[in-house]
Parts: sequence; structure tokens; C-alpha cells
Amino acid sequence: MIYTLFSILVFPGLLFLSIFGVIAEFIDRRLYARFQNRMGPPWFQPVADFIKLLAKEELIPEEADARMFKILPVFAVAAAVTAFLYIPLWNTASLFSFEGDIIVVLYLLTLPTLTFFLAGWYSTSLYAMIGAVRTLTQLFAYEVPLFMGILSPAILADSWSLEAITRFYGEHPWYALFNILGFAVSVIAIQGKLERIPFDIPEAETEVVGGAFTEYSGKFLALFRMAIDIEMVVCAALLAAVFLPFGLELHPVISFVIFIVKLLVIIFIMSLMRSIFARLRIDQMVNFCWKYLAPAALLQILISFILKGILVR
Amino acid sequence: MSKEETIQQELIKNFGFLEGKFRIPRERRIFLDVPADRFMDVFDYTVKKMNFNYLCIISGLDEGENLSFIYHLALNYSIILNIKISVPKSNPSIKTITGYFPSADLYERELEDLLGAKVEGLAKGRRYPLPDDWPIGQYPLRKDWKPQDEPEVKQEKSN
Amino acid sequence: MGKVMIPIGPQHPALKEPASFNITLDGEKILDMIVKVGYNHRGIEKACEQRTYIQDIYLLERVCGICSHTHSTCFLQAVEEIAALELPKRAHYLRTIVAELERVHSHLLWLGVAGHEVGFDTLLMYSWRDREIVMDILSMLTGNRVNYAMNTVGGVRRDISPDQIKTILPLVDILEERTKYYIQVASEEVTLIERLSKVGTLSHDDALKLGAAGPTARASGRDIDVRRDDPYAAYADLSFKVITDNHNDVLGRTLVRVGELMESYKMIRQLLKNIPEGPIAVKAPRKIQAGEALSRYEAPRGEDVHYVKANGTDRPERVKVRAPTLANVQAVAAMLKNGYLADIPIVVAAIDPCFSCTDRMMVSMKDANSRKENFIDWKTLRQYSIDWYKQNRGVDMSKIKISKRW
Repeated sequence: MIYTLFSILVFPGLLFLSIFGVIAEFIDRRLYARFQNRMGPPWFQPVADFIKLLAKEELIPEEADARMFKILPVFAVAAAVTAFLYIPLWNTASLFSFEGDIIVVLYLLTLPTLTFFLAGWYSTSLYAMIGAVRTLTQLFAYEVPLFMGILSPAILADSWSLEAITRFYGEHPWYALFNILGFAVSVIAIQGKLERIPFDIPEAETEVVGGAFTEYSGKFLALFRMAIDIEMVVCAALLAAVFLPFGLELHPVISFVIFIVKLLVIIFIMSLMRSIFARLRIDQMVNFCWKYLAPAALLQILISFILKGILVR
Repeated sequence: MSKEETIQQELIKNFGFLEGKFRIPRERRIFLDVPADRFMDVFDYTVKKMNFNYLCIISGLDEGENLSFIYHLALNYSIILNIKISVPKSNPSIKTITGYFPSADLYERELEDLLGAKVEGLAKGRRYPLPDDWPIGQYPLRKDWKPQDEPEVKQEKSN
Repeated sequence: MGKVMIPIGPQHPALKEPASFNITLDGEKILDMIVKVGYNHRGIEKACEQRTYIQDIYLLERVCGICSHTHSTCFLQAVEEIAALELPKRAHYLRTIVAELERVHSHLLWLGVAGHEVGFDTLLMYSWRDREIVMDILSMLTGNRVNYAMNTVGGVRRDISPDQIKTILPLVDILEERTKYYIQVASEEVTLIERLSKVGTLSHDDALKLGAAGPTARASGRDIDVRRDDPYAAYADLSFKVITDNHNDVLGRTLVRVGELMESYKMIRQLLKNIPEGPIAVKAPRKIQAGEALSRYEAPRGEDVHYVKANGTDRPERVKVRAPTLANVQAVAAMLKNGYLADIPIVVAAIDPCFSCTDRMMVSMKDANSRKENFIDWKTLRQYSIDWYKQNRGVDMSKIKISKRW
């Protein structure tokens, strides 16, 4: 019981995730800056930003639904943290597991996006409303390729449990090579989920000021930003668990280091994408997702089915 | 004969009253005074027949009894014809040229705001460039207009 | 979502100076828009009438933070025409050198802003870093990074030395190298092209009808350029191409601007090579004889027009300024017809509306002990700021590196 509570709240749960999220944000910002030929922030900048926001006054629009306005950021953080508990990290065992948890994780990762939408909607401000509608429009575009991309390894592993999937790929690490297309699709789709360039349309500051978060300030904004940081780590961990099943059965310390390296590689790829593209328009984004990303994910599923037939025989 | 003189000749041929109203200070610049009541005819001819297809700007001047307006038109983006008209300050009414140049809209609004010209036929719209709450009858670019000192704003003391 | 009215401005992250665009949206599509400008009216024309010609130069230089040389040169051309002053050739060349450097600095700045408006911040960081080179050249030549104060009635105030020419030429080579890279980016980067092409189209006829000027007009296939059609300063001696484009959209405007950068480098080299010896100014009378003149100048953003009327005193009777943005802003509504909300920032930015930028200049400070004014150079100024921060804020800034270009 105490061990479970410790796992949920401290390691590898809330506390570890928050700290790692902050570190991930720093690495992302630093890499982004270096790609752009800038120095970038010092290591404590995300923490300083967080503390600064906590100290600021919170303003809630008069028209807004105050209760929802306050509670949504907590929901976002909670959903992202909960998703983390089902993901196997540096070994093949996750904290909780059951057949079908991969679907649960994907749905839990959709929840923060829905809270962003609701946050914008309940703010009752024009910019926030447009940002909220964009968040939702975008959700329908990237979610399908993301689901298909992440589920295709499950087809090959013949299980809907993340633990079983990692165990399967742990035994046959080279099978992971067949999922490269799915990996690429998922990384791109996750840029949309995390609202990063080229899919940062909902919070494009030159168009809709701050998007869904326009009216947010103080600790509520800090919580939202924390939720996005945590979501980034959780998404990276999910990708690592499903697509990069290496070094799982070694000594825990070594496995842990390898796990961290995997996350950093994924964060590196995401930062690189952020710095080499321009922001797309919402119609171009939806077009891209349905025209290229979804067919690519379908192809990956097809490959998985065919391989399954060959390998099982 | 230079291009500028050719333009002068053509205009005099069509509008005899323009004889002696021309001044060509240097190449590519022609200054021309036109009586206000014949302005639209001359303007129409230069734009439609002589292909002066670019309007640089309309300058407004306060010349004591009169308000003057200079229409700077360009031929091939190179030769500038400056057509000047004068109207009495008591009734500073001119006709709009937005039918020829839609871009003149803002220039004419500026004349209305800053010099108090009355532009006939200008579509209703927002004023430019003065603020919406600018007092009526105050035309800053007129020579007799002096900026008034703003009433002193008392600063609230924050202790 | 039904129809909503969304205000872009007077204050908005996409706008660097106040202007207001009230847009009626149907979802993401633009149905209608109302443009309102004039928030920045500072009464400069009236103020000019109350100051002497020399004071007006510095006042007009502050019409715009970017094309400051534009306005002072344009004004002085009119004044010198009225006073019948014949400028020495070297003065014309120096004015043109600063003018072209200013164009380079303005276009590089625009490129970065355009990148930022479409969420391509990497382009912003890259091009603004390279812009530092041309800013450094300008500060070496004139003493200031912006508001150069290079002009005076009858010529220029500072001469250029052979050493400076030798320093500038390799820097221009660096800039040319970088610009080639930007041309490659603008013509190959997929997402950038997606965002720029077919956006904010302004047909050739509309450009003519709405009186667009400068790169905005040239990107719609209007082959117009004051530098060639109505030459001033030293442009008659130079060989250059007028860059036009038939894309009619924002991509075209981008290509025109980067193309013009290449032409500017060519011109700067010609100017530096062929600059004649001689005096840099002639003596000008304090009072200017009565008369009137219209002066035109190809600013980085388009045609700048000044009309000056003199009345024989030391103050002008009337100064009329038409900055290029006033000619172009009216085309924005036509460009945005049937567009998307997401395109508004880049379309507005594509006419390159004038906005001020931060100034960094050599300062002259009064020493507390002596009544003498001290002229402080870069190094001392830097040391001063480091000490100030250490003493008053407790921050040690001495570790921050600065470029060692000279």
C-alpha cells in the first residue's frame, strides 16, 4: 500500500514526472535555441517561470464559469500523470496493467486536449474561443493517425496490454524495425497533440494571441504549462515503450539510464521538427493529416498484419 | 521638344485657358495651376486620355484666404504633373477623385480632417487620421490653428 | 461557431505598431474587414512648419525607425532643389551608400518578421543575426544603428575612409552568401511555401488601381521603381535590375525582397568602388528662397513622397509627407478577400508596414564632476553598464560575450 502510494505520488509518479517535465522543457527550449543559433535559457529557467507564475495574481473573466475555469488545469495534470502509471518505463513491468490498457493510455492522453478546449470555451473570450475550436478541429485530424500508428505494434505483438507488448518486443527486439513508419507517424501526430510547430495552430500568438489560454494567468496557467510538460514526457515514454524496446532486461540502473536516453532522443527529434518548419494553417493541417498521415498509418497496420501472418507461421 | 513640353502643348491645345499656367522647374516635374471649376475636366483628360495612371498624393495648403490642393500625378511612374487648384476658405468644397483612384480615399479623408476641406462624393466612413473624439471645427494644419495646452492631469499619489 | 467579429488591434501580438483591423469571421474564413489607421498620428507636418530646416531633418528622420535616412534624404532633395544647391558627387554617393545599406537592413528585418508571423521563428533568429552585420556597418559609417543623422542641407555630415571601405567589402560578401541561403529557403522549404503562396493575392490590375508601391507592386508584376524611373542621388550612375515577380502573392513579395537584397549588394560594391574624391557638402543658406518642389525616393517599402513649400524664411511653409505604407495599406483589404484568419498577420506584414525599432547608439553623457561633455565609445559604455548592473542590481554581466567583429 505504501509502496503503491509512493509510486503514484513520488517515483515514478507525480513528483518525478513534474521534475522530469521541467527538465524536459529546459532541454527542449535549449535545443530549440541552439538550432536557432541562440544561447537559450539557463537550466533553472522553467522552474523560475513556474515560480514566477505561482506568485502572480489570477484574473478570471467576469463572464467565465469560475469553477470550471479553476478546476480544468488540475484535470489536465491529473489525466497526464495517470496515463504515465500504465506505461512500462525502464523494464517490461508497469505500475498497473490489464489487457487493453494501451487504449486507456491513449484516451487519458486525449483528456488534456479536451481540457484545453473546455478552458478556452469557458473563458468566453473571442481569441480563447477560436483557439478552443482550433484545438478540437486539430484533435480530430491527428488523433486517428496517432491511434493507428501506436496500435499497429500491438497487432504484431497480439496483445492490447502495454506490458505484453514491451515483453514481446523485448524478446524480439529486431521486430521493432518493422514499425519505423508507425514511429514516424506517431512522432508527427504528437507534435499536434502537444501543440508544437508545425501544428501549434491553436495557440498561434500572431493570430489568436494565446489561443485557449488567452485569459489564463497565475497558478492556473502554471498548472496548464506543467500539464503540457508532463504530457510531453508521457508521450515520449509511450513512444519509447512501444517503438524502442531496447535495454529492458539489464540492471535497473543501466536500464533507467537507457530509458532516459531514449526519451531525450525523442525530445531531440521533436525539437528539431519545431525549428525547421513554419506553422501550417488549420485547413492545411487537417489536409495533411488525412491525406498523408492517415494512409501512412494504414500502411503500417497492413504491414503489421502481413508480418503477423508470416511470423506466426 | 522634351517630353514635358509635349505634355504642356497637348494640354494647352485642348484647354486654351491653361496658356501661361505651366512651370517646368526641372526634368520630370510639371507644375500647373487650374481654375477650380474646370479642374474635373482637366483631371479627367490627363487620367483617361494621357494615361497619368498613378496618384502620388494630394497635398493641401493653407494660403490665407484660400485653401489649395495639389494633385501629384505620375506618368509611367516618372514624369510628375502637379495640378494645383484653389478654393476659398469660406467654402472649401472640392470633388472626390476616388472614382479614378480608389486609393485617394485616405488622402481625401486626411484633407477633411487636417485642413477642413469638404470633399463632395466621398463615401461615408471612418475619419483619418485624427481620433474619433477630436473636436468639430478644429483643423490642425490651418495656419491660424495653435495647439492648446492640455489640461494638466493630476497624478494620483500612491502611498 | 457562427459569425463572429474579431478585433486585430489596435494592440495585438501580430502588430508592431497600432492599427486596427476589425474582421468578421465565419469559422476561419474572412467575410469582411474594416481597416482603421491613424493611431500613430503625431502631427509631424504641423511641427515641421514651426521649426527650422536643420531641425526638421532630425524631426523627419524620426517619422520611421527603420527608413529614417529615407525621410531626411527625401526632404532634403526637395529643399536643395528649391535652394538650387548643386551637391558634390561624393555627397550623392555617400547618401546612396547609406540608402542601400538601409534597404538591406530593412529587408532582412522584414524577412525575420515574415518568418515570425507564420510561426517560423528559426528564420527570424537567423536573419536578424545577419542583420547585425549591416547594423554594425551603419554604426561604423554614421555612428548610429538607426536614425543615422547622416544628412545635412547641402550634403552629408560624415566622410568614409579607405579603411572603412576595406572593412565593409568582405562583410557585404558574407551578407550575400547568407542571402543566397535565404533565397534557397524561400524557394524550397515546404511548409513556408505552403503558408506564403496563393496567400494575399493582389492582381496586377488591382495593384495599379489601388496605387500600390514598392515591393508590393513589383510582386504583382508592376515594373516600377523610382530609382530607375525618376533617378535621384547617385542612382543614375549605377547599373541594377528592377526585380519583379508574377506570383502576385506573399511568396512573390518575399522573392522580390530577397532579390532586391542581391541587387543592393551589387550597388553597394559599385558605389564603394567608384566613389569620387572631393568635398562632402556645400555651404547652404540658413534661409531658403521661396519656391516649391516635389521629391520622390524609393524607400525599402516603396515610394516615399515629400512636397515642400518654402517662403523665404528659415522655416518651411508646408511639408507634406507620404510614407509608402499609406499607399499600400489600402490594398490589404483587397488582399484578404476570401482569406483565412491565419493569413492576416502575414498578409499585413507582407506590405511591410513601418514600425519603430529599438535604438542603440553612442551616447554623450555629462560627467558629474566636470562640465565638459564626454564622448563615450562602445567599450567604455559596455563597461559602464556592467558596473551599473553589478552595483545597482547585483548581477554580473561581464561574462556575456560580444562579437569581436572589430
